[in-house]
Amino acid sequence: MTEVLISAKGLAKNYGKKQALKPTNLEIPAGRIVGVIGANGAGKSTLLNCLLGLSDYEGDLQVMGMNPLMQRAVLMEQVCFIADVATLPRWAKVADLLDWVAGLHPKFDQAKAIARLKTTTVQLDSKIKALSKGMIVQVHLAIALAIDARILVLDEPTLGLDIVNRRGFYDAILSDFFDETRTVIITTHQVDEVEPILSHAIFIRDGAVTLDASMDVIADRFLAVDVLDTQKAEAEALRPLYGRSLLGRTTFVFDGVAPDQLKTFGEPRRVGLADLFVALAQ
Amino acid sequence: MTQAWRDDQPIWRQIKDRVLSAILDGGIKEGEPLPSVRQVALDLQVNPLTVSKAYQELADDGLVERRRGLGMFVIEGARKGLSASERNTFLKEEWPVVVTRIKRLGLSAQELLKDIEGNGQ
Repeated sequence: MTEVLISAKGLAKNYGKKQALKPTNLEIPAGRIVGVIGANGAGKSTLLNCLLGLSDYEGDLQVMGMNPLMQRAVLMEQVCFIADVATLPRWAKVADLLDWVAGLHPKFDQAKAIARLKTTTVQLDSKIKALSKGMIVQVHLAIALAIDARILVLDEPTLGLDIVNRRGFYDAILSDFFDETRTVIITTHQVDEVEPILSHAIFIRDGAVTLDASMDVIADRFLAVDVLDTQKAEAEALRPLYGRSLLGRTTFVFDGVAPDQLKTFGEPRRVGLADLFVALAQ
Repeated sequence: MTQAWRDDQPIWRQIKDRVLSAILDGGIKEGEPLPSVRQVALDLQVNPLTVSKAYQELADDGLVERRRGLGMFVIEGARKGLSASERNTFLKEEWPVVVTRIKRLGLSAQELLKDIEGNGQ
């Protein structure tokens, strides 16, 4: 049995009258890379903040078997969080930063962080403000990956980075962090970019989880096919989730319709997460 | 290197196809190990589970075997079996489509054979 790292039952959060997160049940075991996908203000950050003990909540939530609000200090030895990478103190020197983290975090392996930075162009005596965005990412990664965490939470981690640095970032997560004993949770708007590394996806819309499934299940359940206008009525009888017309054809997205049934219209294909999100929002 | 994944097949299936081609054209020989799941996941920037699934399918097809602690190996005779099944698939699934097209275009057997022999020389 794989160990369950995060378990939520009826987890909810209200800001005054606004329900930022409607009662949600989640179970996330070790060994997953989960993409949390939703529009701005849909409740992604609220969910992450609850998991991290940064926000109070209603309902039952256990992270590594602990209550994030009551046992936050102990929990943070097991959980690592990277928000938008541009948030290191600009006036600090890299070496000082590493010293402080070493003083704050009992599981931080400073030697490992320094070893990692030695393979980059980052100088330990540079100030953060003198570093390029790509170098700042390296500092972030060096700190995060030198903490022997079980859960890594990434909130829009690659915002403002160029393509090369974004790829490098996910490369490092795959090669130096992720294994079957750990779980990564990512929110990002660059869905296409992270899609291939995900094992699971969670869609959040207006504070409610609208989909929580493995990529395998998603690939089996949802198919798209281009239908000629002459066969449109026939296809609509199969109750597509979504349709979009272009040049005499309509692309329909179906939920749970067998590929053989769809082959009469054309070649069925899998639906990317970004397209699926749009289709499910209809 | 960025991978271009087609959307008509799941990614695990496309990884499986790549391994099949590698076995067929001798890129990975019989008795040789497949690269580790971790390595492939990293090289292709995909989730390791996706690679595991492709490897498991190859094992279920009897083309590779898991050796405890060592990883996956191409079994002896895999290539021969694979060529036979590829031929079979071609004759059963691809050839009928080609034949339909040949008929539609009104090409004669002589015209087609001439081309094959011409290219062969």
